[in-house]
Amino acid sequence: MAEDTTSVIASARPALDEGLLKALAATLGGDAAQVSRRLAALARYEKAAEPDRVRHLWRFTNPALLLPASVTGAPATDIVLTSAAPVAGASVTIDLWPGQAPAVQTAEDLPVGALVFTAADEPFAAGGAPAGDLFAALGDAAWNTGVGLQVAAGVKLAGPIHVRVHASAAAVLPRVRLDVGRGAEAMLVEHHTGGGPDVRVAGSTVINAADGARVRHAVVQVWEPGTCGHLAVRTRAGADADILTVCGVFGGDETKLELGTDLAGAGAHSEIVGVALVAGKQHADVHTSHRHLAGHTTSRIDYKAVAGQQARSTYTGLIRIEERATHCEAYQENRNLLLSSRARADAIPELEIHNQEVSCSHGATIAPVDPEQLFYLGSRGLDPHEAMGLVVRGFLENTLARLPDDARSMVESFTAPRLATIREGGA
Amino acid sequence: MSDQLLSPDHPSVVFACRGVQVYVKDGDTEKQIVRGVDLTVRRGEKHALMGPNGSGKSTLAAALMGHPSYRVEGDIWLNGERVDALEPHMRARRGMFLSFQYPVAVPGVTVANFLRASLAARRGTEIPVRAFRQELNAAFATMSIDPSFITRYLNDGFSGGEKKKLEILQMLLLKPAFSLLDETDSGLDIDALKIVSDGINLASGPDNGLLLVTHYQRILNHVQPDVVHVFMNGHLVRTGGMELVTALEERGYDWLAEEAAIPEGSRA
Ligand SMILES: Nc1ncnc2c1ncn2[C@@H]1O[C@H](COP(=O)(O)OP(=O)(O)O)[C@@H](O)[C@H]1O
Ligand SMILES: [Mg+2]
Repeated sequence: MAEDTTSVIASARPALDEGLLKALAATLGGDAAQVSRRLAALARYEKAAEPDRVRHLWRFTNPALLLPASVTGAPATDIVLTSAAPVAGASVTIDLWPGQAPAVQTAEDLPVGALVFTAADEPFAAGGAPAGDLFAALGDAAWNTGVGLQVAAGVKLAGPIHVRVHASAAAVLPRVRLDVGRGAEAMLVEHHTGGGPDVRVAGSTVINAADGARVRHAVVQVWEPGTCGHLAVRTRAGADADILTVCGVFGGDETKLELGTDLAGAGAHSEIVGVALVAGKQHADVHTSHRHLAGHTTSRIDYKAVAGQQARSTYTGLIRIEERATHCEAYQENRNLLLSSRARADAIPELEIHNQEVSCSHGATIAPVDPEQLFYLGSRGLDPHEAMGLVVRGFLENTLARLPDDARSMVESFTAPRLATIREGGA
Repeated sequence: MSDQLLSPDHPSVVFACRGVQVYVKDGDTEKQIVRGVDLTVRRGEKHALMGPNGSGKSTLAAALMGHPSYRVEGDIWLNGERVDALEPHMRARRGMFLSFQYPVAVPGVTVANFLRASLAARRGTEIPVRAFRQELNAAFATMSIDPSFITRYLNDGFSGGEKKKLEILQMLLLKPAFSLLDETDSGLDIDALKIVSDGINLASGPDNGLLLVTHYQRILNHVQPDVVHVFMNGHLVRTGGMELVTALEERGYDWLAEEAAIPEGSRA
């Protein structure tokens, strides 16, 4: 359970002021409207209550551990902007470095007008974080790198929008905004990389999928050891929109990922598929929320976590079905595999169902690797680490099998080195 | 008859054990299941081990293979080499094999991936994909297993018969020097029993040996044992030939228990 419910967040909360926020806006080339949005967020930040550690969302992770100690307005000078190659097959590759304007590399065959750049922090008309959310207010006020994108109605982007977020400063506050127009199709890959001791990340991604839009969103976090951070993704799905959110949590020390999708239009469908592979003393805290605001909406969650050594996995998942949202289907499954007796997992599903005409199910399991499986594989010549690697791969298999080929191979490019570590006895 | 006086590391002996005792954890204490077993299996020999339910046959087989949750005393030889200090995978790589009474499912791991990894471990080298496919197809045909099982998850949702056929398919591929076959016949219909028996016979040759654990005469009519042991209350109470099987079939186990002076409460 929560190690300390007495929060030390008041002292840990980084100080922000008007001058700092204006400097940040200037560094990133923001206009007067951006400055006023930042200042409005500052007011919310100062009023924001400390996250409630009794409620499940923050029960297992101390928010103070995730917050940067301070935020500076100056452009980062200690980073070397490598002209990293664009991702093969991507429609656009965007590198986000804190304190820098986004570095954009567009594919030559991207049709003119298919993709439009917008302000990274402009709020959507509906949805978004609850007003009192501390991390959301911090990001809104002090974000220091970001990009906004709009996919025009009816456009089907050939390749993904690939965003690499580099945790290259002590405080990294990225934000990504994606607006997918009516009937449009897009894939956004958000690749969180870099980091190191004392690096803190507080990121926010907002996605609006208009009616009939089809959006695939992958968030993959491979931070270096020492990094701690919080990433929040908020997606709004319009009528008949189809959303697939894929998450992969692999790096960092203390990390929290919140994935929230609002099924706002009738017939919307959202699926969240996630894997976490952690070892050492890592703690991966993942929260999902599916809010069914309209009728005939369907949602599905399949999240698997593997914890080795003394690592820890936390999953809290909320399914909320509003009174007016009849004829909904919601399904949630969380499975945790513990590779050592010192690893730990917690899983808490929460259902808030306000009408009877729904079909809803959920399940969570936490189990060690079955020693009989290891003995069986051992009796066929596989050494204990090889056997463990095979069992872990098998554990993830039916979840990865839910993904389309491109998303699957993308996720597997991140799971493969971690599985190799297990096979070599490193977890 | 197996010659118990033969030295366990004699070149004609493929497998031997001496004074094997097996203990399992039972709460805070230990419970002894196997109370001293000696076996000598010569190359080319098939041994049968028969005994009542709960007598400890599976425990003995798993312990000989190196199951980590048992405490085992005694010496075990494979091909003249002591293997009792080795982990299961090292025994397997040296040529020991266990066909499980209840093979465990490993969801998400395909039969093909599993078999390829096992073969590589046993042979000490990766098998080229094409050669592997050919070998696999041949083995599946031999065991009358539908080739679609190659992409199924290991033992996941398999019927009892399908699991047992896959066990013997592995025996054929891995070409063990010594196989422990734990009730490979149980739960099989007539056709499957024939396929499994033929597979065992095909895998047996003049250089290797096996110990077939069973309850029933049925399989022993197909896989003719050279030596038959009766196992009760943790001991081998009698060793003989096929005539012993007939006697057990007619008279049950009780007369042997009486002869061996096993108290009635512990005849399992
Ligand atoms: N891990 C264990 N812990 C406690 N008792 C066990 C364990 N394994 C086996 N036993 C007991 O040992 C006895 C022999 O079981 P088993 O070897 O399965 O017999 P068989 O295969 O001859 O039917 C049974 O009484 C069983 O309950
Ligand atoms: Mg048994």
